[in-house]
Amino acid sequence: MPLDYRRFNGPEDSVSYRRFTEDYTKDYKQFLDELIDENGRRKGGREMDEARTLCMFFARTGMISQAKGSSYIELKRTKVACSVFDPREIVHQNEYSTLGQLYCEVKFAPFSCRGERKALVPDSDERALSVALKKALEPAVCRHLFPNYQIDIFIYILENDGACLPAAINAAGLALSDAAVPMYDIITASSVAISGDKIFVDPTDDEEQLAIRNHDGVNHGVITMSMLPELQQVSDYRQIGSMDADCVLNALSILEKECKKIVPYVQRVLVQNAINSFEQQKKLEEEAKEREEALNAKMEVWKSILNVG
Amino acid sequence: MAGLLLSPSEKVYILHGIEDDFRSDGRSNIDYRPMELETDVVSHASGSARLRLANTDILVGVKTEIDVPKPDKPNQGKIDFFVDCSANATPEFEGRGGEQLANNISNLMQRAYHSEQAFDLKQLSIFEGKQCWKLYVDILILECGGNLCDAVSLAVKAALFNTRIPFVKAALLDGGNVDLQLSDDPYDSKLLEVGTAPLLVTLCKIGEKCVVDPSAEEESCSVISLVVGVTGNPKCYCSNEDASKLHEHISKCSTIAMNGPGSVAPQTLTNAIKQGINAAKYLDEALGKALLRERQDITNFVKHSYGFFK
Amino acid sequence: METETIKEVGKICIPGMRLSSSDKGHLSGPGTYELKGYIYSMLTGVLKTEEDEERKATKICVVSPRTPSVLPVTGDIVTAKVTVVNSRQVNCIILCVGPSPLVRPYRGILKKEDIKFTDKDRIDPYKCFRPGDIILARVLPMTEIHWYHLSTAENELGVVIATAEGSPQGISMVPISWSEMQCPKTLAKEPRKVARVIPENINQALFPVDSKEPQKQNGVGNK
Repeated sequence: MPLDYRRFNGPEDSVSYRRFTEDYTKDYKQFLDELIDENGRRKGGREMDEARTLCMFFARTGMISQAKGSSYIELKRTKVACSVFDPREIVHQNEYSTLGQLYCEVKFAPFSCRGERKALVPDSDERALSVALKKALEPAVCRHLFPNYQIDIFIYILENDGACLPAAINAAGLALSDAAVPMYDIITASSVAISGDKIFVDPTDDEEQLAIRNHDGVNHGVITMSMLPELQQVSDYRQIGSMDADCVLNALSILEKECKKIVPYVQRVLVQNAINSFEQQKKLEEEAKEREEALNAKMEVWKSILNVG
Repeated sequence: MAGLLLSPSEKVYILHGIEDDFRSDGRSNIDYRPMELETDVVSHASGSARLRLANTDILVGVKTEIDVPKPDKPNQGKIDFFVDCSANATPEFEGRGGEQLANNISNLMQRAYHSEQAFDLKQLSIFEGKQCWKLYVDILILECGGNLCDAVSLAVKAALFNTRIPFVKAALLDGGNVDLQLSDDPYDSKLLEVGTAPLLVTLCKIGEKCVVDPSAEEESCSVISLVVGVTGNPKCYCSNEDASKLHEHISKCSTIAMNGPGSVAPQTLTNAIKQGINAAKYLDEALGKALLRERQDITNFVKHSYGFFK
Repeated sequence: METETIKEVGKICIPGMRLSSSDKGHLSGPGTYELKGYIYSMLTGVLKTEEDEERKATKICVVSPRTPSVLPVTGDIVTAKVTVVNSRQVNCIILCVGPSPLVRPYRGILKKEDIKFTDKDRIDPYKCFRPGDIILARVLPMTEIHWYHLSTAENELGVVIATAEGSPQGISMVPISWSEMQCPKTLAKEPRKVARVIPENINQALFPVDSKEPQKQNGVGNK
């Protein structure tokens, strides 16, 4: 891995202290028992099929004032900020393309994940997330309207407690719409973690870790899906782990429902944002009018003074 | 995928053919093109394979090295995939041109081999928590004729099947450092269990239908393709006596991904996944048979080595 | 309270919202797209309808409160600022597309032969433009990656705002003919490719003949 010499890097062979804590040596059964209580509810009181309520805060200028559009999404402890910039020239391009490009970059804050500190140079996780994000967004954006140019989309994951890819996709969809980038449809995403017969909708980090582990040959894995709800299209589907066909198809139908559940939230945020910006515009126009009137009044005064003189 | 220019009428021709289940090279929508496979083609690699799928040419070499296992997985080895898109294949790969494609394929392979049910990394452990084998799977794309993912996964599985890892004669623990003694005899080595290793099946959506094994021309007609990674059946990769001892195998999806800028309807996705799992099953059987025959030939010294002359 | 403000703002659309069927009576305008016989919104904004008199149809548009991320498209009229003039071409920076300003400046190139409609072989770029001029131009089909090709070969296109050499900033010259402008302060005359600007508030009925003829000649439609 390339080392960043301009910054202080910790010793190369340092290990997170968590490795020596009890958590680390837990086996599958203990792990599972801890995540699900005797009533079949998850840690934190959610039902198995209950997603974290989206707390979307959608800032026009408050979040990232330099960006054309920005958004912020919070799923309890998963926090994601996104900014979108206007089309710009593609630097190293030497071929004519009729479709515009999306440049996506996903970055974890150094302190965002449990366990290892994230390095400043993008690691393989971040690169994979960037590729997935790009894939998910491409079908939604009207790319034929900016040939030979690229739109930059930056995602910063401030805190990761599972389901960061769907959070990133949702955030990017909002930010693109905020930036008035022409889009075919809004975009929603959701994920599930599967371990045996347990299906965790909108998993936390612990649940994802559990689902990645293999236990006794049962189905396990994490699936993320993003959809364009109005056009009824799946824009990305991504799975890791190992599961049989029935399980995949079952998860697919659950995800489809989950993606639809998010739609009203997204719509609400977008409408609210539109109202706010129109009100702001009106206020600005009123202020401009007032200033103009004041100026005209002053002109009249000067004119009368001049005439007198 | 790589710089192919087709006129609209050529595309329409391909599209109409696929609608009638009759493709431009005479195949039906679920047929693969002919394949040629040879293992043990590179002398300095622990295992190697070369696969030619019509015009797609893949060479895979496996190198083994000794490494320290990850602290959170002390009893597992490591496997890494590197894809090199050679500029020989198409001039577009020159410089950093093929980088994105290469990253895409290696990520896909990494994800497909991620699950323990797909490839058991425990067999690469030497000394728990101290030392393990690390497999470097280097994939060289020599020629690009469409359907790279499938060809790569087949070649990788064949190369891993062919890989020999030397036996460890003795391991001494000397003040926390491990001192290994390996066997010198190249034939004194163990083979990997790769029966469950996944195969990738690409389903290319052209018009309203999905086809397997798209040619380069067909790929350029499509905006979206689905890649399904399906675990193999270990029964196909061992002799009949051993096969009867094994459990009944259920094919599982070890990864699913979408490639290309388009999107699909949920129903199409469901059908494609089913179609992919089915195709992978047949592919796996055929690969198993070919590899077993090849191994038989090697042990009986009747194998003809063709290398790159064929 | 919320519903009141919504009513005040108008009909709010979000991307992917189905607005109407696309038929003879309904046209897809800016901010919308057509798919399988329907018109959908592609921006977050307010629904606006315009009557298109030529085609006797309702044009459906969505107007965003923010400047939409648009780029110049072939056929658009753009406002640009001249940066460099040489004997073969004029380089400029595109500032606006139609009525909407661009956030980033995009580069445009005006080739010598695209400056005027007539006398193409005798055009001298130095006698048509000077760095700093604000011009109106039409976007030609895109052939290069990093810049747009422009054309001013129409009566309505060319220099709109220009300052004479040596005149103080902010004093723009007044057109005195198709090829000359004069500074009102210093009375210096300078050659320019002058655009005939039709003020938007003048009723078109005032010049029924003038406004139609060049349109037919150059194949320009009001977009």
